[in-house]
Amino acid sequence: MLIAALRRVLLSVITLVMLAVFIFIATEIMPGDALDVSLSADEIAMIPPERLAKMKQDLGLDRPAHERLLAFLNGAITLDFGKTLISKTPVSAIIGYPLRNSLILAGAVLLIAIPLALAIGIAAAFWKGRAVDHLVSTGSIIGYSIPEFVIGTILVMLFAVAWPIFPATITASTRDPALTLLASSPLAVATVLIGSIAYLARLLRTGMVDALASDFVERLRLTGIPEWRIVFLHALPAAVVPSLTALALYAASLVSGIVVVELVFAYPGLGQELVRGVTRREVHVVQAIALCSAAVVVALNLLADLAILMLDPRTRRA
Amino acid sequence: MSIVNRRDLLQGGAGVALLAALDASLLGEAVAQEQPKRGGTLAYAQLSANRRSAGPNNSKHPYFIVDANTKQIWSTPTWVNPELGLELEIATKLEPADDSLKVWDMTLREGVMFHDMTEMTAADAVASFDYHRQNAPFARQITKVEQTGKYTVRFTLEAGNAEFGYVLAEYNSPIMKAAPLETIGLDGIGTGAFKIVQSDPNRLMILERFESYWRKGLPHLDRIEIHNREGQQESALNGLRSGQFDAVMNIDGRAALQFQNDPNFEIETARGGYSFVIQMPKHPGSPFLDKRVRQAFAYAIDREAIVRVAYSGRFGWIGNDSHLMVTDAAFVPRAGGRDVAKAKQLLAEAGHPNGINLGTLYWSPQLPEAGRYFQVLQQSVKDAGITLAIEERPNDGYIQFRTGDNDLSKGNFHKFAMTAVGSRNPGISLFRMRAAFVESGHWRGPEHDKYLALYNQAMITPDAAKRKAIYAEMQAILHEEVPAILPAGGNTLMVKRKHMRNMPYHPQIWSIRYEEIWRA
Repeated sequence: MLIAALRRVLLSVITLVMLAVFIFIATEIMPGDALDVSLSADEIAMIPPERLAKMKQDLGLDRPAHERLLAFLNGAITLDFGKTLISKTPVSAIIGYPLRNSLILAGAVLLIAIPLALAIGIAAAFWKGRAVDHLVSTGSIIGYSIPEFVIGTILVMLFAVAWPIFPATITASTRDPALTLLASSPLAVATVLIGSIAYLARLLRTGMVDALASDFVERLRLTGIPEWRIVFLHALPAAVVPSLTALALYAASLVSGIVVVELVFAYPGLGQELVRGVTRREVHVVQAIALCSAAVVVALNLLADLAILMLDPRTRRA
Repeated sequence: MSIVNRRDLLQGGAGVALLAALDASLLGEAVAQEQPKRGGTLAYAQLSANRRSAGPNNSKHPYFIVDANTKQIWSTPTWVNPELGLELEIATKLEPADDSLKVWDMTLREGVMFHDMTEMTAADAVASFDYHRQNAPFARQITKVEQTGKYTVRFTLEAGNAEFGYVLAEYNSPIMKAAPLETIGLDGIGTGAFKIVQSDPNRLMILERFESYWRKGLPHLDRIEIHNREGQQESALNGLRSGQFDAVMNIDGRAALQFQNDPNFEIETARGGYSFVIQMPKHPGSPFLDKRVRQAFAYAIDREAIVRVAYSGRFGWIGNDSHLMVTDAAFVPRAGGRDVAKAKQLLAEAGHPNGINLGTLYWSPQLPEAGRYFQVLQQSVKDAGITLAIEERPNDGYIQFRTGDNDLSKGNFHKFAMTAVGSRNPGISLFRMRAAFVESGHWRGPEHDKYLALYNQAMITPDAAKRKAIYAEMQAILHEEVPAILPAGGNTLMVKRKHMRNMPYHPQIWSIRYEEIWRA
């Protein structure tokens, strides 16, 4: 098992290095640079071309690509992504709180979504083919397929404009405590939650249906074990194990992929900072956020793999 | 040496004027008929943010907060009023030392306090402009700034500039508390009506009333909350509808219209906020090398249709093919209007009796209406037999995309493309049509040289009226030569709740006087 685990760790490291190179290339081919973006057309109109070239040189924008790649890889290893090009602020200071906030939002959503999705998925599987199952199946398809910005907008119109009980846009500060942030973000949480519950419930329902129809559950029933014990102590673990990788990837996508929700509600997370970094051509910020997001995906995937290794002996031979 | 009075300043701003102390009645519009109330908060969303991302260490620095809000916290020596005229603000006097207009003497108001209750002196102005001249494009023309007394400062410029006063009104010209170049401005301490109490980089800034503000009795408001909603218009409008915000700045005209019938809101607009320039490359082989083609193109465009469609007929104005805004006192309307027959005749004379294909006009979505603006333009010129394709390019790298090399022998020409133009004084705006700058599209020849000679003459003409006459002559050259076309422009727009009073908008949004706003 140890060798299998080490192999997965090594693969994760290789994946991260490849991703780092890919991220660097992606930011390299972005048109424009931080200087162009930081100056308005009115301001550029007043600067002679030779002065503009000198300003680019001062910002290091004329350094060869291989030099910048090595600096980026070195920074990735030491977790020092340098400073922003224009304001000379450490990148870690720029992305620290947004990263925390994205983790808070994702964490809150998962804390609510997982138990609810478990309950719904189990109920749908247990009463497969009945009204509950149809309701869950239809509801989860609708919940998962409606884009989050549509759900968010509907929630805002209903609960912030027509019936103003929640804030329409988040006015909390980036550095506010977690509870303050969450208290001002109920509609953002609800928006992500709807899609999350729909996805996870559907995932768990499928696993539970398979588990409840399996031979070992049939044998357990013949031995007279109470149905609730079969469901919760035997079928549920069997259903969860195959879903772990999908669950891990989904959790990672919540951290790195809720840009739309952040924009709809102005949630001060990583997505907003990424959009700002791209807009301002602050490549160090973009690279750091992209790499952090990639690292979260790889790390959660690795954790899921290791968990499966522990829970399912068959995988250790792979 | 001519001494110009306040009226002269308002008309074009030259060198300057000795005004007595500036009091509340001098600045801004007359206060509304209702008696202003003291207290309350203004919370607003700002859709146009600073182009420079701030971090925790510099988010109180005037260069890194949202540009539009600089003057709430800091004061500048001069101020540009909504008619784009120049007025003195924290300076009580600004005048050239001699006829070269290269050396300017400024006297600062006495008794102006910083937020830390120390008095502002010339030392602060010198330290501030020493920083600005090294970091702000408009102030780079200052070669030296020196203290000549406790409240007096001397600026030396690289060339004469009759409109130097406008440089001192820019959002990057605030007077900060003196400090070494590395740290000046980072404390966020200014002499403005409001002081910073909380700053969340790129997101939120909370300001509170400064009780010792130099304009006695102001500000009216206790507190201002500025929420950055750059690129998030829907989020901002949701905040407005739900009552979280009192106003949203820089809103798109079409979005603003949804509030026009709502009794709780008002649309505030400032005429002459911005326009679009179409640069026409005049390199060998280009159809734009022939002046008649350029003239035909200018005659063929249905500018009224652009205003009607792109600006809902209410929020736009017709341009005059110079970079001046309609609000500017020096703006001279282009004579004649649309003339399709004349356009056809000019094309025929140029050897295109059956019409002409001008190739592809590139545009980027710098402003929300850009797409519909250029579609109308494309359709309208068809009537004169002018065909052109329009192609959208991303904002990213657009400046580099449309800019070629001024040296035509290199074969890297400027593109046939548009870009947005902001609201500035004639000294800056008319300078944009020089051959060395991309927007003139390689404009060369005796008329260009005459244009530039007039410009140089204007810059050393202290008399505002004479300067205005020179600007009119320059615009006449542009109308005849058509080096570039600026068909129409838009007004800056804001939607606000009606309980916010005395909150008119401004073509330069950073020049709004927030201290005069009050909450009913």
